Amino acid sequence: MTQRISKYQKFKMMNPIIQFFKFIYLSIKIMIIVAGGHGGTRENIK
Amino acid sequence: MSKIVILGAGISGHVAASHLRRKLSKQHEVIVVSPNSNYQWIPSNIWVGIGRMKSEKILFPLAPLYKRKGIGYKQAKAISFFPEGDKNEEKPYVLAEYIIGDKKGQHEKVTYDYLINATGPKLNFEATEGLIPGQNKTYSVCTYTHADHAWEGLSEVIQQMKQGKKAKILIGTGHAKATCQGAAFEYILNVEQELRKHKVRDMAEVTWISNEYQLGDFGMDGMLLSYKGMTLKSHEMVEMIFEDRDIKWILGAGVNKVKDGIAYYENLDGEIKGEVYDFAMLIPAFSGHGFKAYDKNENDITEKLFKGFMIVDADYTPKPYEEWSVRDWPETYQNPSYRNIFAPGIAFAPPHAISKPRKSKNETPIFPSPPRTGMPSGITAKLVADNIIDSIKNGKESLHHKGSLGNMGAACIASAGFGMTKGSGVSITTYPIVPDYEKYPKTQGRKLSKTFGEIGLAGHWLKLALHHAFIYKAKMKPLWWLIPE
Ligand SMILES: Cc1cc2nc3c(=O)[nH]c(=O)nc-3n(C[C@H](O)[C@H](O)[C@H](O)COP(=O)(O)OP(=O)(O)OC[C@H]3O[C@@H](n4cnc5c(N)ncnc54)[C@H](O)[C@@H]3O)c2cc1C
Repeated sequence: MTQRISKYQKFKMMNPIIQFFKFIYLSIKIMIIVAGGHGGTRENIK
Repeated sequence: MSKIVILGAGISGHVAASHLRRKLSKQHEVIVVSPNSNYQWIPSNIWVGIGRMKSEKILFPLAPLYKRKGIGYKQAKAISFFPEGDKNEEKPYVLAEYIIGDKKGQHEKVTYDYLINATGPKLNFEATEGLIPGQNKTYSVCTYTHADHAWEGLSEVIQQMKQGKKAKILIGTGHAKATCQGAAFEYILNVEQELRKHKVRDMAEVTWISNEYQLGDFGMDGMLLSYKGMTLKSHEMVEMIFEDRDIKWILGAGVNKVKDGIAYYENLDGEIKGEVYDFAMLIPAFSGHGFKAYDKNENDITEKLFKGFMIVDADYTPKPYEEWSVRDWPETYQNPSYRNIFAPGIAFAPPHAISKPRKSKNETPIFPSPPRTGMPSGITAKLVADNIIDSIKNGKESLHHKGSLGNMGAACIASAGFGMTKGSGVSITTYPIVPDYEKYPKTQGRKLSKTFGEIGLAGHWLKLALHHAFIYKAKMKPLWWLIPE
């Protein structure tokens, strides 16, 4: 086993307080991507 | 009055049915034809497969909901398509066979004005010799019954490890052209965490086997993503996670045969190898259902409707990888020959793969087929429903709603372990799903501000929140339509 993620990084990844804010941040970021919508790709083709 | 028939009640069929019913007045008929009596939220099968969620929590019966909402429901499976009707039936119809109750085995011509084929994939286990869920120590998590069996198999192996027996666990893809690597990725991380929870991690060797050329390809040709202020390649991120969790990997592997505890595969060097295991979860090939289609005179016109999956408004001209374009991908999911037939979700035939096609030295194609995950399945189903609604309301064809996978983002919240305080998730978003190398030439076809990765407990909470939100939405509870696809 190779420790690729340091103990400090793991602490941050599993700390409920830090992760609570991350949860809010991620939810908003994902909503932006979803709300960013979708469309076609051929509109500009003449 | 219009009659809209939807084949399939998975993510895309159910999304289409619920939006059509909500937006169309009751004079229009919405009918779902599907063989499974239950709706299932497939993404949570991962947790059923590690015994952390009961399958009852991810499913609910469709009949009572459809009855309450005024959606017609036939528990039957489509067999063949008659888009011009036949000599005795003027209207187009689908021939369906009832699979339960008094009508079991009976055929019915289900006529329609609009048809939505949302039958998803056939789980083509037969394409790999010996790959049978629950046999030869191999399992699947593609349905809730498969996932229940997988947990039985895994818990048995865990018990053996507790008694001192070492075990090999193999998880990944079970065919040279399988897709859905994301589900297998989630499962391997969840299994690895469960082994730690049961204090048997040191007794197990955990191995990833996949048809991907590199880790983190996910059938999407991999991606560049923002991670903690850096720009990482997805293979670097997955490699970091696997190394940290002591998971070995075998890549470029086309599994072609499974015997009791051995998976045989060909690699890109053309070598035939075998990997021994005590428990394996291998995703099968996905294929079309083998539907047939006939014209009014009952001549076979299958090739007008199907190319394995259903033909839609994609550009199917064969071309080399270097010439692939986002514009090849469909926008409206309408069949070009019969314009009242649509195929959202996994049911449509993709124009080509997304990952670079590769062949072994023996000319065997070994590369992932393109994934169509839950979010695009829902979005494409909704836009098909919206176009049908507009067409009915305007009295003429309307195709204003468009959604190419080359102009749509997706969020993949991959569970990496279960638990409110010990859980973890790898949250990856990608925009667009199909890389657009013209628009984003320097970032491997993706917009970096919308393509990012995160690892941590928040990912688990997010996945759990999505589980509850989507089941709430699927049950069509108050204001369900406010929850996006
Ligand atoms: C284990 C697993 C985990 C996953 N996790 C995620 C995830 O975390 N996030 C994500 O976005 N995606 C995930 N996916 C992918 C997601 O489940 C699919 O994208 C989605 O289910 C596709 O929806 P669909 O409606 O096209 O097909 P399906 O959901 O497969 O639905 C097909 C429907 O058609 C019905 N049907 C089949 N044959 C017939 C017939 N002959 N006649 C009529 N009806 C028929 C079926 O009974 C079913 O109701 C996962 C997939 C798997 C297998």
